[in-house]
Amino acid sequence: MADSITRRVKIRRNYETLAWKWMRYSGILLIPLAWGHMVIQDVLVGVHQINIDYVALRWSFLGWRVYDFLLLAFTFAHGMNGLRQVIFDFLNTRMSRTVISWIFFFCWAIITLIGAAAIIGGVKIPAK
Amino acid sequence: MSNIKNTLVGYVTYQGREGQYTFLLHRITGLGTLLFLTVHILDTATVYFAPQLYSKAIALYRNPIFMLGEIALVFCLTFHGVNGLRIAVFDLFKPAWWGPKDAPRSMRITLWIAILLWIPPALVMGYNLIHYALGWI
Repeated sequence: MADSITRRVKIRRNYETLAWKWMRYSGILLIPLAWGHMVIQDVLVGVHQINIDYVALRWSFLGWRVYDFLLLAFTFAHGMNGLRQVIFDFLNTRMSRTVISWIFFFCWAIITLIGAAAIIGGVKIPAK
Repeated sequence: MSNIKNTLVGYVTYQGREGQYTFLLHRITGLGTLLFLTVHILDTATVYFAPQLYSKAIALYRNPIFMLGEIALVFCLTFHGVNGLRIAVFDLFKPAWWGPKDAPRSMRITLWIAILLWIPPALVMGYNLIHYALGWI
């Protein structure tokens, strides 16, 4: 509408406003990161060419390890916060929301640590 | 438990057309991707923690059913990405585009872009499915 009124609203900064921004900025970054990973591994390479030697070859380049590390850090934190926001639709009390947030935080931390340990530790080729 | 029922009934009965369908599709594709992502972080972690298990995980992904799932996953990631980018751009830079005429139109365009971007990879993965997993050609 031509006669719309512009109104400036001060929004108090708290965890939720930070999470709101995180979803949008990390989402923009995930377009090249996650789409790139998907196009390379699922389409150009394909699951029938992927084995442990392929992972070892890929991780012999520091650049790909950094790429996978960023992928792990951004995708999973984006996804777990998204899950938290979906679950919030189903929980109406402050207490239940706090509890589920901490549960998701620990799940996120444990799985991220497992993934990070694997990227840093690298591939252990099994004895044949 | 009534919260869960109320929210689910609201998801289905709310007559929000494009906005509602896009909201639901964004959440379903996001949750689907997160489910795969969690499994995928853990299966990849076996290369360090239990390397003899990695080939078993990969064998599972080469199963025809999982390869169909992979094609669906690529749609999820494509749609969630295009729609997420739209949301980010509108919210951060162009809030006026959330208007009652522009927003539904942008959602229809989003779905078409996602489908068009998805078709080429789906064809490649469909070929891989037929060639490697089923051995037909």
